[in-house]
Amino acid sequence: MKNKDKPPELQPFFDKNIAGDVVPSIGISMPRIDAYAKVTGRERYAADYYGFDMIWAGVKRAGIPHARLKSVNTQAAENLPGVIAVLTHKNISGSNRQGVIRKDQPVLVDDKVRHCGDAVALVLAEDKETLAKAIKLTSADFEPLPGVFTTETALEENAPLVHEDHPGGNVLLKASLEIGSVQSAKEHCDVLVEACFETPLVEHAYLETEAGWAQLKEDGKLEIVASTQTPFRDRMEVADALGLEPERIRMIAPYAGGAFGGKDGVTVQSLLGLAALHANGRPVKMWWSREESFIAGTKRHAARMYYRLGAKADGSLHSLDTRLYFDTGPYDHLGGVVITLALEHSGGPYRIPNVSFKGWAVYTNNPIGGAFRGFGVAQVTAAMEQMMDMLAEKLAMDPLKLRLKNAVRKGDKNCVGVTLTHSTGLVECLEAVARHPLWTERAAWKSKAGPFKRRGAGIVALMHASGYGPVVPDVANAKVELTAEGKIKVYCGVVDMGQGNAATNLQIAGSILCQNVDRIELILPDTDRTLPSGSASASRCTYTFGNALIGACETLKLRILQRAADLLMVDDCDETALIPGAVRHLPTGREIPLHRLATFMNESERTATQRFRAPTAKEIPPVGNEIRLHGFPHTLFSYGAHLVRVEVNELTGVVDVKRYLSVSDCGKIINPHVYEQQIQGAIAQGIGYALSEEVQVNEGKVLTADLATFIIPAASDVPEIESQPVEIYEPSGPYGLKGVGEIATNGPLPAIANAVADACGVRIFRSPLTPSRVLRALRERLSEGGVH
Amino acid sequence: MRTFEYLKPASVNKALALLDLYGDQAKLIAGGTDVMVQWKKRIISPQVLISLRNLAELSFIKFGGGLEIGAGTTHRALELSPEIREHFPVIHDAVSNLGSVQVRNSGTIGGNICNAAPSADTAPPLLVLDTNVRIASTKGERTVAIRDFFRGPSRTVLQTGELVTLFSIPAPLPRTGMAYSKHTRRKAMDLPIVGVAVLLSFEEDLKTCRKAAIALGVAAPTPMRAANAEAFLAGKPVDKTTLLEAGKIASEEASPRTTIRGSAWYRKEIIRVLVRRTGLICMERAKGAARS
Repeated sequence: MKNKDKPPELQPFFDKNIAGDVVPSIGISMPRIDAYAKVTGRERYAADYYGFDMIWAGVKRAGIPHARLKSVNTQAAENLPGVIAVLTHKNISGSNRQGVIRKDQPVLVDDKVRHCGDAVALVLAEDKETLAKAIKLTSADFEPLPGVFTTETALEENAPLVHEDHPGGNVLLKASLEIGSVQSAKEHCDVLVEACFETPLVEHAYLETEAGWAQLKEDGKLEIVASTQTPFRDRMEVADALGLEPERIRMIAPYAGGAFGGKDGVTVQSLLGLAALHANGRPVKMWWSREESFIAGTKRHAARMYYRLGAKADGSLHSLDTRLYFDTGPYDHLGGVVITLALEHSGGPYRIPNVSFKGWAVYTNNPIGGAFRGFGVAQVTAAMEQMMDMLAEKLAMDPLKLRLKNAVRKGDKNCVGVTLTHSTGLVECLEAVARHPLWTERAAWKSKAGPFKRRGAGIVALMHASGYGPVVPDVANAKVELTAEGKIKVYCGVVDMGQGNAATNLQIAGSILCQNVDRIELILPDTDRTLPSGSASASRCTYTFGNALIGACETLKLRILQRAADLLMVDDCDETALIPGAVRHLPTGREIPLHRLATFMNESERTATQRFRAPTAKEIPPVGNEIRLHGFPHTLFSYGAHLVRVEVNELTGVVDVKRYLSVSDCGKIINPHVYEQQIQGAIAQGIGYALSEEVQVNEGKVLTADLATFIIPAASDVPEIESQPVEIYEPSGPYGLKGVGEIATNGPLPAIANAVADACGVRIFRSPLTPSRVLRALRERLSEGGVH
Repeated sequence: MRTFEYLKPASVNKALALLDLYGDQAKLIAGGTDVMVQWKKRIISPQVLISLRNLAELSFIKFGGGLEIGAGTTHRALELSPEIREHFPVIHDAVSNLGSVQVRNSGTIGGNICNAAPSADTAPPLLVLDTNVRIASTKGERTVAIRDFFRGPSRTVLQTGELVTLFSIPAPLPRTGMAYSKHTRRKAMDLPIVGVAVLLSFEEDLKTCRKAAIALGVAAPTPMRAANAEAFLAGKPVDKTTLLEAGKIASEEASPRTTIRGSAWYRKEIIRVLVRRTGLICMERAKGAARS
């Protein structure tokens, strides 16, 4: 009989590694090292920690969008048995402000509530039930203030101010850029197209909601384990907000259960740190509910975008005038950086000699707009790629030919004035779509639509920058170690939030050092153990960290070979080679096992590190320093072209996505399997953005705070996706690679909108393209008598 | 602390005795897919939960021309029943795209009906099948026609101390086709924006409608029968045109609301489309049934 008291012991996951006993190579599909542990539930995410003697922490949310805080009433909760502490801003000795650029978000509200999800009090209790009750017993006295809930009203003359102390009023950041002149566009253009597009507020909806745990250690160190994309930056933010020395804080970032930008910055970290400081050394856990995640977490910015695009009769683009209004909510959760990247991409991957771009990130009392895979580019691509189709229609030109005619090529200046000196494969992507039967045979397919059905095909051209831009150093520091036992440890500085970069790191190290997968251990980001390598964001992870890791591995390899040559008493380490578990002297066949070799090396010798900083654009386009600080411009871009086939039901307005083709230039591929996952996942997410996802908000209150009302696609809503890489070698990338994490998510919304327009002659300027919006547009077209 | 007592009686009689004992302080729970959500959202806070889970006397499917379904039968058991699939496909349609497999393995048809949500997927099928609902209490049993069972959103004719034990469905007429369609915002894991069940029995010519039953979900405060549309079809030859007209009439009978899931005008549009579409499936199925 089994011993019922003792839980079965978990085997370390690499004992059951599905990758098997193989030496990794670059360019082959390998099962991800994290796959087995994840699908069997063994992997421990930040939400999975349940320490001995653990306390639960939770937040009293404001529930009111804009108000002056008069007082917080903690007494009733404090009197409840099982409550350990009820903390307010008075318990914070630091700045009580968080943020990456402009630090404007309180950990716990002190002066003003600025959105419903603001944290008013932090409660610590022995168990979850007591916590819930104590949160309910905690109350606050507010003096309600009039709020601003749209970017229009926020920009009005006498609008209530979200931050009275911000010199820009409700404008967090205005970014603008002018090249050439758009004033005389009417005279110089043969065709002008104008439109306004609205895209919705969108929730990331990761599986693992914001979570973590923290403990004040006996040596005074504050240890915080969190589901985060940014452990090193978090440490500085938490230190500043709570008034601690950064070196007192250790941030640990396990695999995140999805993040998509929603964990690009502090979520639970400061709250957990504060809680741990009041927990008498006991571990404290916080895990937001789905509803809390909807209400308090960041979202993709809702946007309103005015476009005017002009071209010559032959289809060459001549001028583009855009005004972008992004609702950034009450805090600068990278909102300035988002509007800046949106501005940079607002003209798409085209040569346009005359542009005037203006963008505003606007404070409101809505939920916080922040980072979300696509990072502003998803919004402007939705606008620009629909403009291209509208222009093609007006010119009576094939939309693909119009794009090819204006597509950027290597050596061109893009429309924000940056010379493209890196690999630029847009034309190859578009040509691959042009050759594909899904495009060439679309007319025959369209004609076979059944009764009450309309079929259409839509295409888009894509580009997406990678990295931080010119000012903030886009740096990674890799570290790799030959352990005393003769194994390899890879110290990953960049978080793996699910995209698979940790597995890619293993593949790189294993390939260079010629070691089996099961001889390599990954150390996940940890401010005490790994080296600062920036955020898991900006399509930069493998590009930047991979370059650093290659350098570190090559250094370690040379050291191992040289040491082995010395021990084998051979002159030249060129005669030695690493093989799994050993070094072999090739002329004689003599071998030294790595575990033996390791005993002859001291720790510093067995460890190699390498720094890499991503290249930056050397041009200085006509923008202010403020905009450069926010990341403008970039030099390295991935490119893509998408094609979608849809069937629209004329009776219900339902848009059925039938087939999807994605062609991408993301450089050379290290692991086709991981690459494919990124493309497929990004497109599935993009289909949700196109058709169903919309956080509905009324006067700052989220109406769709659960997954029953915020509709993300199910597996059956995602069609067969064909993904073709255009593998153009990028000399600055690790093994020729460029970023693939975001680009594909920008395609589905405009591609589907273009396909719907192709199918039934209606264009819907407000997304998502829900059935009722499509049906209403179809009806309006019919009532105008314009039967297509 | 917010807690409840969880009681698991071994029989229906014991459950009824507990219901008498605790009265309004008790709530019945079967699969828990609705009750636990309501408890978590603090919509309900019963002191006692009386579990009917896995009571064998409530979980059965008896087929003999007509059909008897124990109220504790899970959606999944209904979905996998070959008799239901063949002879009562309208039920199969409803339970095979309800929630996820996990939800269907847990949730029961009795729970779905007693929860009385306007969007309950099994309500329109039971409505068109003229189902009788057997209700038990310590005082005895009574039977209520399903069309009289619902009283409003989350409200039924059940009195304190009563529970539903059985759904009794009469044998359909010969040459009958029946189907359920729902309109959702994604293809799985979603509540209906509108749900429509149609049952059509034909004369020997397989054209003339002998009997029509049309039931609508999310079209009114309770699942409803579209009596005017049914009356319109009765005695008429059924084809695309008459079904289209029936859809229009059904849509006029309906009084849906605008919610964050969908607006009233759109729901009315969808009722028109679904009545026609579901009616066409009924025609096909009736022909198939007549052939076999």
